[in-house]
Amino acid sequence: MNALNIALKDFQIFLKDRGAVINLFLLPMVFILVLSTAMQGLIGGDEDSLITLPVVNLDPDGEAAQVLIDALNEAGGIKVRLYDQAEAQALLEDLEIERVLTIPPNFTVDVAAGRPVTLRLVSHPDANETTTESVLRVVNGVARGMSLQIQLIASLEQMGAMLAASPPEFQVFTTEKNVAQAQSQFERSKIAPLVAVEQTQPENLSERVEEPNAVQQNVPGYTIIFVFLTAQATALSIYTEKKHGSFRRLLAAPMSKAALLAGKMIPNLITGLIQIAVIFGVSVFVLPMIGLDRLTLGDDPLALVLVSLLVALCSTSLGILIAAIARTEGQIGGLGTLALWTMGAVGGCLFPPFLLGGLLDAVGKVVPHYWAIQAYQDLIVRGRGLADVTTEMLALLAFTGVFFVVGLWRFEFD
Amino acid sequence: MNENIVEAQRLVKRYGDVEAVRDLSFAVRRGEVFGLLGPNGAGKTTAISMLTGVLPPTSGTAQIGGYDIVKELDQVKKINGLVPQDLALYPTLSARANLNFFGRIYGLRGKELRERVEDVLRIVALTDRADDAIKTFSGGMKRRVNIAAGLVHQPKLLFLDEPTVGVDPQSRNHIFESVMRLNRERSMSIVYTSHYMEEVELLCNRVAIIDQGKIVALDTIKNLIAMLGGGVIQVGLHQVDDALLAQLTMLPAVKRATLAPQPAPPPPAEGQEAKVAEIAPAPSYTIVKIEAEHSQQALVNMISFFNERDIPIAALEILEPNLESVFLHLTGKKLRE
Repeated sequence: MNALNIALKDFQIFLKDRGAVINLFLLPMVFILVLSTAMQGLIGGDEDSLITLPVVNLDPDGEAAQVLIDALNEAGGIKVRLYDQAEAQALLEDLEIERVLTIPPNFTVDVAAGRPVTLRLVSHPDANETTTESVLRVVNGVARGMSLQIQLIASLEQMGAMLAASPPEFQVFTTEKNVAQAQSQFERSKIAPLVAVEQTQPENLSERVEEPNAVQQNVPGYTIIFVFLTAQATALSIYTEKKHGSFRRLLAAPMSKAALLAGKMIPNLITGLIQIAVIFGVSVFVLPMIGLDRLTLGDDPLALVLVSLLVALCSTSLGILIAAIARTEGQIGGLGTLALWTMGAVGGCLFPPFLLGGLLDAVGKVVPHYWAIQAYQDLIVRGRGLADVTTEMLALLAFTGVFFVVGLWRFEFD
Repeated sequence: MNENIVEAQRLVKRYGDVEAVRDLSFAVRRGEVFGLLGPNGAGKTTAISMLTGVLPPTSGTAQIGGYDIVKELDQVKKINGLVPQDLALYPTLSARANLNFFGRIYGLRGKELRERVEDVLRIVALTDRADDAIKTFSGGMKRRVNIAAGLVHQPKLLFLDEPTVGVDPQSRNHIFESVMRLNRERSMSIVYTSHYMEEVELLCNRVAIIDQGKIVALDTIKNLIAMLGGGVIQVGLHQVDDALLAQLTMLPAVKRATLAPQPAPPPPAEGQEAKVAEIAPAPSYTIVKIEAEHSQQALVNMISFFNERDIPIAALEILEPNLESVFLHLTGKKLRE
C-alpha cells in the first residue's frame, strides 16, 4: 500500500513538471517526425508509390500476353518490369525482388483456343504480405476482366457464325439469344475463368530478414531510447529524495525497504508504458495524415504488449542500478544521458541496421536496446508472433534481472 | 509502565574503521524534553538514525516504548516521529499535499487524515498557506512544515534533529513555542539535538553532551553547570610543571588547577600534503585549567602569583557558568568549532 502512496506522490510531482512531460512525449515525437521525413524513401519501401511487379513472360511473342501486361500497367498501382526466368529466380531467392508473376508458354494460343490457363504469382516467405495481397487483387482483377472479354467475344463470334447459317425466320430471336449467351458466359467466367491466378511460395528458400522502412525504424527506435531515458528519472527521483532528506524520513516510517523501492519503480514502469502507447498511437493515426507511412503494429497484439511491458520493466530496473552507482546529480544527468544514448546507438535504435553493419552484431547484443528493437521489428515489420520473439523477450528479462540484482546489491539506503 | 520511553545500551555505529557512535548509553524519561548537545559531526544524527530505524546499529541495543529497535522495528517506527535536519519535503507540492502524503504512509486515511493535517497546520501556524507550494515558503516556514510532517501521525516520541538550522529569529521562537506546547499539552516526549546551547538550555530538562560519538556528560542543566563550581579560568603558560600546578591549587578561592585538554592544531586544507600540517603553527603555550570557588577572587590571586614570579601569561579566558563552558571544560573544544 505504501508503495502505491509513494508512486502516487511521485506522479503528483511529475505532473507539475512540464519539462518532464515534454521530454517524455514531445521530444521523441519530434525526433521521429524529423528523421522519418528525412529518411523516407532512403530506407525500406519503394521510391515511388507504384508497386513494381516483376513478370516472367514465357509467351514473349504472344498477343494475349502483351495485352495482359498492358492491362496490368493500366490497372493502376502496379508497374510491370520484365525479367527472364533464371534472373527472376535468383533475385527472388535473395529477396532482391519479393514476388514474380509468370505468364505460361502458349498463353496466347491457349486463350485463343478457349483452354484455361493459369498465371503463377510466386512470393517470397518474407515478402510484405500487405503488398502481396494488393498485387494479387490487381492481377486477379485484370485476369478476370480478360477472361470475361475473351469468353464473351468468342461466344458472340460463335453466335454470329450460327446465325449467318440459319433460315431468316429463326433470326427474329437474335437479341434474346445473344443476351442469354452473354449472361451464360459471364457466369461461367466467374466460376471457371479462362485466365486463373495461382499464388505460391518458392520452396527451399532460406528465410531472410526484411528491413524496416523509415517509420518502422524510427518509431520503435526512439520509443525505446526515450523509455530507457526515463531510467534517469527514477535515479534522479531517488537521488533527490536522499539529498533533501525525505528518503531518510521514509526509512523512518513503518514500511519495508522493498515497498519503498517498489514505490519509486512503479511510476517509471507506468510512465514507460504510457510513453509507448502514446508514441505508437500517434505513429499509427497521425503520421499518415502528414504524408508519412502508417506504423503497422503486426499481427500479435499480445506479443506487442508483453514486449512493451518488458522494455518498461528493464528501464525501471536500470533506474535502480543508476541510482545505486551514481554519486552526483551530474553523473545521473550527464553521464547517464551519454550512456543511454550510446546504448541506443549501438543497439540499433538510432540508425538502420545497414548503416551499423557488423557493429550491431558485434556490440549491439550487450545492450537491452538491441533486443528490444529486434523484438519490435520482428513483430511490426516482419509480422511475426509471440513464439518468434521468445529469445528477445528472455534477453530483456535477463537484463532486467541483472540490473535489479546488481542495483539492489550496490544500493545504499542510508 | 516503564518510566523511560528510550533506553539505549552501548550503541555503536561503525563505518569501516571510523566509529561514528561509541558505546552510547542513555535513557529518556516519558514526557521529558531530552537534549543531545554536541558540535557538528559529534554523532548526534547517527544516534538518532539508529533510534528511528533509519540505520541498524553495529552493536548494542535500544528500546523505544519497550520495543527493541532491531527486532520490533515496525512498532518502534509507529511510536517515533522524525524531523530530520534536512528539509525533508517535496518542494513542488503544497504543504497540505506533503502532510497528506506523510500521514498516508503512517496509515491515516479519510476524515482522520484530514483532521490530523488541519491539527498540525494549526500547531505550526500555517493553515492560511496550506495550499501553497512549499517552494514558495521562507526558510522558517519550510522548517515549520518539516516539523508538522513529523507530527501528523501523533507520535509518542518526537526526534527533532537540529530543527532551527538556517531559521530566522521569528520562526525560531515559533518552533520553540511549538516544542514546549507539544511537551506540555500533549505530554509528547522529545529528543532535541542541537549545537546551540541556548536552545538546549531553554527547552530541555536533561542534556547529554556528546563529542566524537561518545557521551561525555549527562545530567540536568543545573547539575551540569554546577560542575564548573564558581567558574573556570583557563590560562596559557609557556612552561608548566607539576610543582606549578600544585602551587596554583593552593591559592585562595582556587579548587583545583589541572592541565586542560590542549586544542588540536588546525587540520590541513583539503588537497594539502601531510608535511604542510606538520609545520603548521601549534600553540606555543600550555593551557592550565583553574576551577575556582569564586572566579573573581581566584583571578586576582592568580595574577598576583604570576607577577611575583615573573611568569608571563600567554592567554587568559574566564568561562561563564553555562553549557558552552561545560562543553569546553569537558572536551577542550568550543561547541561551534
